[in-house]
Amino acid sequence: MARADRSANAIARFEAIYEQHVTAIHRFVYARVGNRPDAEDLTALVFMRAVEQLDVDRPAPQISAWLFRVAQNAVADYWRAFYRLPQVGVDHVAGAWEPAVPQVSPHADADADRAATAVRRLLVRLPEQYARVLELRFLNRLSVAETASRLGVSHGNAKVLQYRALRRAAALVDTDG
Amino acid sequence: MVDERSEAFDRFVDTLLSGGRPSPDQVVDEEGPMAQLAAELSAAGDPHKGEPDAAFIEQLRLRMRDADAGIAAVQDWVLPGDVQLGRARITRRDLLRLGIGAAGGLAAAAAATAILRAGSREPIPSASESPSDGQLVGDGQWVEVASLADLPVGAALRFSTTALDGYVVNDAGTIRALSAVCTHQACTLIYRQVWHDLRCPCHGASFDLSGKLANGREGWAAGHGYLGDSAAYPLDLPPLARPRVRVLGDSVQVWTALA
Repeated sequence: MARADRSANAIARFEAIYEQHVTAIHRFVYARVGNRPDAEDLTALVFMRAVEQLDVDRPAPQISAWLFRVAQNAVADYWRAFYRLPQVGVDHVAGAWEPAVPQVSPHADADADRAATAVRRLLVRLPEQYARVLELRFLNRLSVAETASRLGVSHGNAKVLQYRALRRAAALVDTDG
Repeated sequence: MVDERSEAFDRFVDTLLSGGRPSPDQVVDEEGPMAQLAAELSAAGDPHKGEPDAAFIEQLRLRMRDADAGIAAVQDWVLPGDVQLGRARITRRDLLRLGIGAAGGLAAAAAATAILRAGSREPIPSASESPSDGQLVGDGQWVEVASLADLPVGAALRFSTTALDGYVVNDAGTIRALSAVCTHQACTLIYRQVWHDLRCPCHGASFDLSGKLANGREGWAAGHGYLGDSAAYPLDLPPLARPRVRVLGDSVQVWTALA
């Protein structure tokens, strides 16, 4: 019975680990893939792998580190496999607002502040029109039509601006790396 | 203003900003870094900050329980006395499920192994689940999903339980139960008898009948590739959930976790 008791403990421990980490892992992945369906798939991938491979008897910090490492690899695989990016996902823009050692339950406001800071740092390095179009589209979630009207340009030009702004910003991030 | 942008990439951004799953096909190689930046900016601008959906958390919890229950079923092990199990945590859970340590547990373990071990020619009807088995596992129950008579060697049948869509397959006399849901993007897998696998119609992952990804990079690295495929499936995917399965007389049953 002693062994059975241990097993019951192991099950309970695994479920506790899941409870503690699922939100943080989902946020971590979401910050890097930017959409919920893919973030859910990758989060599921991390925990399904944990079912198979994670040793719940390890100390808590090692368990966290293991889960975040698997998550980081999953994100890198995602960008490499589907978007053919050679070596990415380790510390891109999103990396700038993650603590070096991810915390289990980071304070949501602190997280958001870090994200906002990283984005602001990027935007100030862009020409003003570029920064504006990214801010209006991605941060303020305005439609292309609304964005065009705010910028006083045509619908088509707003799309061109958005494209060029992303290209320039991606080049900046790339040279930082 | 010269219009050098691509319509497809615009659609990628629109999908992203509307919360949908964007398609990699809308992004050409040199736009990859832009796509990644757009994804990160979009996440940063999301007022919900990537908070997971409560329903998602629950569904994943059930999937994990089913997978966990199933890992026991198809593992190749030697019992008793010389218990060899690969994974530490699963080991303890296997022991728990099969009631080892409880009275009558070893008989149940041996019977379960006999049914599921690869190589046995006929499934052996098992009536020897330990009485303590169900209650030790906790939230779940056996659900009949097929009649053995409908499952000749090589055949597969789809089943649905509250927790799982799956296949039961007669693999050369061994009855296996596997999730029918691809662990990549949850497309429904297709059983291919000739290939001995479950194939994903969406992105081409193939899973062998032990639930493992069969056409991944490992096969190519080892030089044998995967029959019928020209390139490795590019992602490492977790194995398919495998509920426990048993045969009672003519009744094929799978263990189903309850919500």
